[in-house]
Amino acid sequence: MRLLLIEDEIRLAEYLRKGLAEEGYTVDVAHDGIDGLHLATQLDYDLLILDGMLPGIDGFAVLAALRQSRSTPVLMLTARTAVEDRVRGLQGGADDYLLKPFAFSELVARIQVLMRRRGTAQSSPEPTVLKIADLEVDLIRRKAIRAGTRLELTAKEFNLLALLLRRHGEVLSRTELASQVWDMNFDSETNVVEVAVRRLRMKVDQPFESPLIHTIRGMGYVLEDRSTS
Amino acid sequence: MTAPQVPHLARRLSSWLALLSMLGLGSVSVVVFAVFSSTLAARQQETMNQKRDALVHVLSDASVEHRNKSIGHTMDDFLAGHNDFFIRITDTEGHVLFDRRPPDIDPRQTLTRTFEVQVMADTGALQPAMATLTMDRRADDALLRVLALTLMFSMVAGSVILSLVGRWLVRRGLSPIQSLVTQTAGLSARDLHERLDERGLPQELLPLVRQFNALLDRLAGAYRQMESFNADVAHELNTPLATLISSSEVALRKPRPVAEMQEVLESNLEDLRRMAGIVNDMLFLSRADKGQIAERAEVTSLREIAHDVAEFYEAVILDADLHLDIVGDVRAAVDVSLIRRALSNLLSNATRYAERGSTIIIAIEPSWDGSSREAGAVISVTNTGEEIEQRHLKKLFDRFYRADESRQQAHQNHGLGLAIVQAIARMHGGSVHAESRQGRTTIGMEFPSALH
Repeated sequence: MRLLLIEDEIRLAEYLRKGLAEEGYTVDVAHDGIDGLHLATQLDYDLLILDGMLPGIDGFAVLAALRQSRSTPVLMLTARTAVEDRVRGLQGGADDYLLKPFAFSELVARIQVLMRRRGTAQSSPEPTVLKIADLEVDLIRRKAIRAGTRLELTAKEFNLLALLLRRHGEVLSRTELASQVWDMNFDSETNVVEVAVRRLRMKVDQPFESPLIHTIRGMGYVLEDRSTS
Repeated sequence: MTAPQVPHLARRLSSWLALLSMLGLGSVSVVVFAVFSSTLAARQQETMNQKRDALVHVLSDASVEHRNKSIGHTMDDFLAGHNDFFIRITDTEGHVLFDRRPPDIDPRQTLTRTFEVQVMADTGALQPAMATLTMDRRADDALLRVLALTLMFSMVAGSVILSLVGRWLVRRGLSPIQSLVTQTAGLSARDLHERLDERGLPQELLPLVRQFNALLDRLAGAYRQMESFNADVAHELNTPLATLISSSEVALRKPRPVAEMQEVLESNLEDLRRMAGIVNDMLFLSRADKGQIAERAEVTSLREIAHDVAEFYEAVILDADLHLDIVGDVRAAVDVSLIRRALSNLLSNATRYAERGSTIIIAIEPSWDGSSREAGAVISVTNTGEEIEQRHLKKLFDRFYRADESRQQAHQNHGLGLAIVQAIARMHGGSVHAESRQGRTTIGMEFPSALH
């Protein structure tokens, strides 16, 4: 997987490059729109990460120029949260956008979604029964069973668990959980997601030996099997 | 390239005045002249008639003294002292009996009349003859000319004087405006309590000046709010920054095990997240302040929105052993994601302060302002619990305002939640309200219908 990151903030670009490299991506970096556009049109990338506000030629212009010749997926990073910007970006041919400041885990998740979306054409349909350790979730019948015991979950708790399970091993931020499970697309200052996850844990983890849902401080939650069995 | 014509009030008024005085004086002059000249003409006719009658009488007079005089003599007597009259008398055969000719005058400047008279012949008998009476009108014409010139001159002079005086009056009348301009130029953003002086202003300008001063009041209020807001922002961001800086410094002072370092980073990340949240909320508020309007595209059931937000709070509500009722419904065009956000903040507040085991009520009612076909809506959230003192109620929606420092659940609430509710209500053209009595606190928003 080869990514091109077009970002004028040198430090941020360096951190992102480092983080993405550790996630297993090959990352090229351009610090302005002109170099970025040159690289993007000359080489084959699987994905472009493009800052909306660049010196000289801005992200939207780069996107417009790129779309004349290539259909590389583009993830835009915008600092401005104005609705018009999102609309502009998506209409201009961006595949997704992320608002600054964003969580790194969020960026990785979005990249994975885009890569998956690209691959769905030939990949098999998603399984309807998800399993990890002794937890089994049936998406069709909307049942969750752990160690043979049926878990009594509310509808939203079930969705939360299904999401964590589908993306197991990925750290999901509170913002992303609020957006995916409850369709609340704003950063709320409430502790709703924490409370919801805590209550889910009481049902999924507490009665059993090894916990599956883990808190990553300052980042979010991840569902993974950490038992050494 | 011509600049667009900007109307110049003083110039416009004085030119109108000049034009009006020209017209007024002009028409007066024309009337005076017309009356005078027609009166003069009538008088001339009158004089002619008198002369004719006198002539007829003199010529046919058969008194003794007349008979002893020749016609010439009689006529000379008749014309004595009348230098502007001339007479020619001819008998029926065309012989001239008497002729005092007018000098060479343009016939247009004379008045002529021919009539029959009876003339005493040498025989003593009366015989018919023709008399032509001519009157020289030049003196009267000269008089008319002088009159016309006088009128013309006084018209022009009068207009000039009137327009000059008018201009001066207009200038004087408009001088308050000039003084207002000078005063306005003297106002500065630094000095927020200065206002325009309305003493000695004419009635017409008072409303303008009062409105302007009211605007200054509002601006001053907004400016002061902004200043205190900036101070609050600095303070709010300073606290986590201080923590971040000191914890990072302490962590770096000596080598530490990775786990310990990790913990420092994790706690720093939490602080940073919080700061990002504050900054994002502030950006949202500043956009609302700039007058961003909600996009009210979708007509939605507000009850459905409330239901979605209630589901989001399900865990919190169960956790605090609360109940939640949604009462009523209104279908309205709103910006769904904004209303969700506002309701989420209201519920966040209500769940934070509600007594365990009590019921939170979301009430959705139509509000009718009568001006549109469709109703607006009032959405309010009521919780049972400790009352909020009256003095705090008004300030509840201020940024970073916390009614009670001890009441805040420290890290969760950075005091912008209700300010955002207010911003969202305003973006929908509405307002917020809060009341607290008998152990129940109701905070809500209302906005008019989108159809205006």
